[in-house]
Amino acid sequence: MSAPAIVRVRDVHKYFTRGSERIDVLQDLNLEVMEGEFLGLMGPSGSGKTTLLNLIAGLDQPSEGEVWIGDRLVSRMSEGELAQWRTRNIGFIFQFYHLLPVLTAYENVELPLLLLPLTAAERKRQVLTALDLVGLSARLSHRPGQLSGGQQQRVGIARAVVTDPTLIVADEPTGDLDARSAEEILALLDELQRSLKKTILLVTHDPRAAGHAHRVLHLEKGQLVETARAADETRIKLG
Amino acid sequence: MPSLLEDLQNNPLAQATLVLSALPLLALLAWAIWQPKLFLLALKNLRRNSLRTALTCLATLVLVLMATLILTVVVTLDRFTTEKARDFKLVVTERWQLPSQMPLTHAHYLDPSSPSFMLDRSEIGPNDFMTWSFYGGTLDPGKMTRENIVFFFVMNPKHIIPMMDDMQDLDPALIAKLEKNRQGCLLGRERLEAINKRVGERIKVTSMNYKGIDLELEIVGELPRGRYNTTGIMNESYFNQELERYARTKGKHPLDSKRLNLVWLRVRDRATFEKVAQQIETASVFADRPVKCETASSGIATWLEPFQSLLWGMKWVLVPAILASMALVVANAIAISVRERRAEMAVMKVLGYRPRQILCLVLGESLLVGGGSGFLAAFLAWFTINAVGGLPFPMLWFQYFMIPTQALFWGLAMGFVTAFLGSALPAWTARSVKVSEVFAKVA
Repeated sequence: MSAPAIVRVRDVHKYFTRGSERIDVLQDLNLEVMEGEFLGLMGPSGSGKTTLLNLIAGLDQPSEGEVWIGDRLVSRMSEGELAQWRTRNIGFIFQFYHLLPVLTAYENVELPLLLLPLTAAERKRQVLTALDLVGLSARLSHRPGQLSGGQQQRVGIARAVVTDPTLIVADEPTGDLDARSAEEILALLDELQRSLKKTILLVTHDPRAAGHAHRVLHLEKGQLVETARAADETRIKLG
Repeated sequence: MPSLLEDLQNNPLAQATLVLSALPLLALLAWAIWQPKLFLLALKNLRRNSLRTALTCLATLVLVLMATLILTVVVTLDRFTTEKARDFKLVVTERWQLPSQMPLTHAHYLDPSSPSFMLDRSEIGPNDFMTWSFYGGTLDPGKMTRENIVFFFVMNPKHIIPMMDDMQDLDPALIAKLEKNRQGCLLGRERLEAINKRVGERIKVTSMNYKGIDLELEIVGELPRGRYNTTGIMNESYFNQELERYARTKGKHPLDSKRLNLVWLRVRDRATFEKVAQQIETASVFADRPVKCETASSGIATWLEPFQSLLWGMKWVLVPAILASMALVVANAIAISVRERRAEMAVMKVLGYRPRQILCLVLGESLLVGGGSGFLAAFLAWFTINAVGGLPFPMLWFQYFMIPTQALFWGLAMGFVTAFLGSALPAWTARSVKVSEVFAKVA
């Protein structure tokens, strides 16, 4: 029996207006992501990848259509509801890490937990577990400026998983890293998916990164135009 | 100077600034207790650009200091020109002449301890009466300079503590010395320093207004610091004795029948004031040299009339301008900080922080800067200026202004209010950051 769909995007249309001009970013888009799936999303710049990611993560609302995460209709939730929902359900990994420079690695990872009704001891346990998971137990008190790019991204991943979210979305997580660090991060995402059964949605330009996904979708001019198995995708792109 | 408790009971500015400083302070405390990590984050954000924070604090500190000094002058003068609801003082002066110069006999009719007392003893008690004569002179008649001039309130020492403003805490031992030694006098700290004399030394004063009445005085004590820094008090019995000696040898002194400058009476309320004033102003005993009565506050207000425009400008133009400058300084610093941290605000939203929490974070940072530097400025002004004897700002007989304790609330309130006003718009901008727009660079 196949896993149930955790993300359901139904007839989503997203457009922006600039003056009198209307720019259609996503058009009649339908998508389902299964629970525990590692999905890659590729496409050229301006194709709408990040917009789709934002809609799924509840950071933006579609102009038309519906976005469901589990049994929650995300596209109709208020900003306050979305904020609360995101804390528990979405882990976001950014290309440029976006750690707070004044906080240590420990404090950065702890930041989303401050919004949850946890005791200090519970918070500490979860932060240490998350940092252990990404192999940074020895860098708890380091500030982002004292860490390498790869290490900062690991902290970003620890911050994304520390609340044990339903879905992890990663927007070009290796875009700012050298090849070796990128491979380590991708291996870490693989590990998260395998060991914790996390659903991961990865936006990337990089075919090697997409190669780690179970399934890869292509976006072009706001429409999903192609679906391929990741291994085939990697083979095609790399020749 | 009234105590903090008296100010909080009677002074609307003290009450308003207490509320304006207590509310944000309690809000910050509640925040620190409820969400200590976010409070800590606000503190750490302030350290992010230490130079900018330090410069903002410094600008706020200087501006609060200026506003505190101005408010001190304005509030002190207001205190003297605002009538009290109870226990206010009535001043009897010569009706048709300025400066007032009345015969000493006028005092006999108004002195409750005199058999000629013409008023109701149930309304004016023995401690509700005081007379002043003004005596000025120099220690060096050959070379009179500002430094060697001394000015005395000539009065009965018994009346100093019960009747003179800001003398309630004067050591009674000094009064006893003054009563025991008829040639004794008390001098303010600054005057003592100017004439290079110490307590225990004697001075010979050549009079400027009572020509030929030169006095030899012994300095028996120092007046409290503040408004009496440059003046002195001497025993009236010695002064009167010397005028009588002069009369015996050279005939009556030209000012003999003009030696009484002011008579002070304390009445319990406005109705008593009206009644007593009417009694005095219509009394036949004063017919030859008519007198007028006014409250001390209106008397002082009359004296301050030439300064009204200046005081109005200080109160309603200068202080608001300073507060507006403070708000702009804070607005500028917080706006730059928010603009630099838009991505961080967006990340916090992604992590689940609500717009109001981000608003609170920015407002909190601003209130910490404003309140902290405002309080520090007011505390520095209160502590250091009072320690050196007050703010020198000569205006009539007001030479020095002591910073009132309520100024600590002014500093906090000014800091908090201007920080709030200055950061409201940047905080709203931070709260309204659109995550999708901030991260729209790679699509």
